Amino acid sequence: MKILRFAAAGLAAALTLTACSSGSAGGTTDSTDGGSEGAEIRVWLVGTDTPDEARTYLKETFEEQNPGSTLVVQEQAWDGLVDKLTTSLSGSDSPDVVEVGNTQAPTFTSSGFFAPLDDIAEDLGGDDLLPGFVESGTWDGTFYAAPYYAGSRVVFYSQQVLGDTPVPTTLDEYVAAAKAATTDTHSGVWFPGQDWYNMLPFVWENGGFIAEQDGEEWKAGFSSEGGIAGLQQVQDLFQNASKAPKDGDETNLQVPFCEGTTTFLSAPSWIKWSILAEADADVPGCPETFGADLHAFPLPGKDGGAAQVFAGGSNVAVAAKSANPDLAKEALTIMLSDEYQTILAENGLIPAKVSLADALPDDEITAAAAAAAANARLTPATPRWGDVEAQKVIQDALVRIAQGEDVTAVAEDLDSTIESILNG
Amino acid sequence: MSSTTLPAAPPSAAPAPRASRAITPARLLPWLLLAPSLAALLVVTGWPLVRMLWLSFHEYERAQLMGVPAPWVGVQNYVDTLTDPRFWTVTLRSFGLMVACVVLTITLGTLVALLLMRLGRVMRLVLSVGLLLAWAMPPLAAMLVWGWMFDTRYGVVNHTLTRLTGTSWMGHPWLIEPLQFFAVATLVIVWGAIPFVAFTLYAGLTQVPQEVLEAAQIDGAGARKRFFRIQVPYVRAIYTVLIVLSMIWDLKVFTQIFVLQGIGGVKSQTSTLGVYIYEMGMAQGHYGAASAIAVVFTVIMLVISAYYVRATVKEEEL
Amino acid sequence: MSIAAAGAAPAVSADARPVAVPAVVAPRRRSRRRRASSWGWGVVAVLVAAAFAFPVYWMVNTSLLPTNEIIGPRVHFWPDQLTLRNYETAIFDQVRAPFLPALGTSLTVTFLVLVASMLFAFAGALAVTRFRFRGRRAFVLSILVVQMIPGEAMMISIFQLVDGWRLLNTVVGLGIVYLAGVLPFTLWTLRGFVNGVPVELEEAAMIDGCSRGRAFWRVTFPLLAPGLVSTGVFAFLQAWNEFMMALIIMTRPEQMTLPVWLRTFQQATRATDWGALMAGSVLVAVPVIVFFLIVQGRMTGGLVSGAVKG
Repeated sequence: MKILRFAAAGLAAALTLTACSSGSAGGTTDSTDGGSEGAEIRVWLVGTDTPDEARTYLKETFEEQNPGSTLVVQEQAWDGLVDKLTTSLSGSDSPDVVEVGNTQAPTFTSSGFFAPLDDIAEDLGGDDLLPGFVESGTWDGTFYAAPYYAGSRVVFYSQQVLGDTPVPTTLDEYVAAAKAATTDTHSGVWFPGQDWYNMLPFVWENGGFIAEQDGEEWKAGFSSEGGIAGLQQVQDLFQNASKAPKDGDETNLQVPFCEGTTTFLSAPSWIKWSILAEADADVPGCPETFGADLHAFPLPGKDGGAAQVFAGGSNVAVAAKSANPDLAKEALTIMLSDEYQTILAENGLIPAKVSLADALPDDEITAAAAAAAANARLTPATPRWGDVEAQKVIQDALVRIAQGEDVTAVAEDLDSTIESILNG
Repeated sequence: MSSTTLPAAPPSAAPAPRASRAITPARLLPWLLLAPSLAALLVVTGWPLVRMLWLSFHEYERAQLMGVPAPWVGVQNYVDTLTDPRFWTVTLRSFGLMVACVVLTITLGTLVALLLMRLGRVMRLVLSVGLLLAWAMPPLAAMLVWGWMFDTRYGVVNHTLTRLTGTSWMGHPWLIEPLQFFAVATLVIVWGAIPFVAFTLYAGLTQVPQEVLEAAQIDGAGARKRFFRIQVPYVRAIYTVLIVLSMIWDLKVFTQIFVLQGIGGVKSQTSTLGVYIYEMGMAQGHYGAASAIAVVFTVIMLVISAYYVRATVKEEEL
Repeated sequence: MSIAAAGAAPAVSADARPVAVPAVVAPRRRSRRRRASSWGWGVVAVLVAAAFAFPVYWMVNTSLLPTNEIIGPRVHFWPDQLTLRNYETAIFDQVRAPFLPALGTSLTVTFLVLVASMLFAFAGALAVTRFRFRGRRAFVLSILVVQMIPGEAMMISIFQLVDGWRLLNTVVGLGIVYLAGVLPFTLWTLRGFVNGVPVELEEAAMIDGCSRGRAFWRVTFPLLAPGLVSTGVFAFLQAWNEFMMALIIMTRPEQMTLPVWLRTFQQATRATDWGALMAGSVLVAVPVIVFFLIVQGRMTGGLVSGAVKG
């Protein structure tokens, strides 16, 4: 397990590098006196990533520690999450604890939607928390949203499909191998047109960037030299290696894999469970056929090693308008406890605490995920970034690239749109 | 609006017109009757409307939802809106879609209505049921079904086209390219709108006295001539209403575009005014700017329907 | 709130007469040639009907097929591998919001809005047609203009309003919002219908010794039935179909309405289960179709009454 611990530490280090020191001002102890006993705490989790075991643990532990109070977990959809949270958190019937995507967190922390957590920061894990995520959850020196979990993408393959071809060790090899494996009906890599998380490594590895702050102004970098080079590589894959729909998104990724019609599948590590789903599941996978010899490796970098990939994940926060902020903070503390985070880790999610990396399962796919995470990068740290995502401007541009439009023109369009949002 | 103000409470107390000194039951009666509607409209539509105007002169973002005071920015939101090329693109796009949808809806609706006239009882029932099914489909469910039919990989449309044309349409993405996106959107909107238009016109056409039509036929007027010279003039009022309503509804179209974008459209190239306002306001949190756009949009709508509004005012003067 | 996809036509002309439309107008005297051509028209009618009904059929068809056949290489034009599993998933799946409470909420909201809007609009329509008072014209004009405002810009203010009343996540809160959304159109439409009934009819009845209210109830009201049906259909459709306001007002899973429940089927991070999604769509559509079939006969006649130049 040393590798994993090393990897998680590497992730921590990588994410610290992007952080521009979040001077942790201790002030603003606005600890509103807690609500009555016997309250109901509502926890909004997003998507299906949090395993049932963790949900049950949270509910039982909370209700045991706070007799008379109850905790309900309500699942929200990622789609339209920002719209819904904006109204819900500003209303009188606000949920108490909410999960948000790490890139969405600044949208809320910057506008006063979350309660400050500085007073319990130490209980939540203090310096042990993933630093990059702490930074996403910090605004103006105040800590609002704790890291929840991180995830990363790995490249899946099935040995029977890949055959004797060696696993690529550089990004260029990867592109070449994917193109070589492509036929009229077979994809070298499954790359749907809207899958922008998979595009970012190509931009980063070629020296491009999403957006950087230049004084007060944000400058977008898809049309930088490295950005164009990366996007051209992406277009090459779209046109010559992928039979995925040019307008497709990341749903149903296990389907082409299970049909055996793609050699590589770059996907979040949890896709493993979809591929291995039993035949009687609602959406069956293929544990007997192509899933039988499932393997994964981290996307290789330009010069070997793991590529810089997008650091996905979530933050979790207490709503500013929670009726019972003290109880909500207790629930949050449970979600950041070693026991709870261990459950997440055992299910293949990178835990919010660096010290718990040991709990990650010891298999090839998790190792690949951890190795990828070690080199992970974040989206620009600005509250406006959430708007860029909400408007799907990157997906839209990527779809145009997938269609074969001129990369430079699309990249310039994209940059000006991003700049107008970030600077607007 | 009226000479009275109402409490924000649900309708119970009917206010009396304060102008009159002698309040007689007879004078009170219309206000009593109007009170419930007036109360609901003043509170739930009137107040947000006033606030929309107020918002349009302020910088109102997400932070303001949490109680931060909104700074007054004068007409800045309007200046921004009117100088933003995106706004004009979206407006033009909305009008293009509206014109296409209205022309197709009215034309095809008329043809279906005429078809209904020609049919015997059984066939008319068959056609009516088909139309009713399309009409009754909730827009959200309908959009999901259409999205599924046009699905890139498993959609029945691509499958059928492949069979019919011999070339492979499998994997053809219908929603990326804006023109194709709007072709699909127009198809869906028109599909949903025709039943209402057809039924209404049909009901109107059955009012045209059979004797007049027969007389015209004896005089040698063909079907075409009879339609334009006799039937259309008879139902002209219906046409006016249908066209004005269709224009308003198609300009305000939201669900169809919003859901289709969710399935696979390029947002920046396919947003219509309603969706654009939603994006600006609810999705991005620029509530002030979104309000300004809505005000401009409303003015445009009023200009379009000025004729209809004027006719109504005149009629009310009688 | 979008006022799209309506179910009724407003009346336009004050001198219009409501005419009872016979459900079936039998064409008189058919020549032999016409009979031959009617065959051709019959074929056209079937084709057109099929074109309109196809999406509905496709929804039902998909909902009855197993998932691995739905997203497979072969397209099934009829459910040759019939299964009810998608319905089971749609109704009982624990991960999503539960179906039955959503059905309950939707039925309750729709019923409330239907009844309240018809009562309110009916009373309001009487006021603006049978009485002359200051502010009447302004009111009529404003309910026309209100329909042109894009509702998307008012959503946030309406949300804050309902929030201020502490009515978030309540049927009453959502119902009030929907009521205000449908009232302009229903009032407008009914006004046309009431206008179409000549006052002289009532006056004649009054001469016969009826009180004004009684005269109205006995004479005018029956003539308005088609108008009430039309506006009822409109209110029903709006309350049943709307989902943007429901999305932000009903945030608790147990308070969701059916359209919001239907939206929970699509998750960006999860495979779209088309079979269950179509089964859910069927469940949402069936009550509307049933409602339409019930009022169908009256509706087609009612749509037009106020608007025909007689």
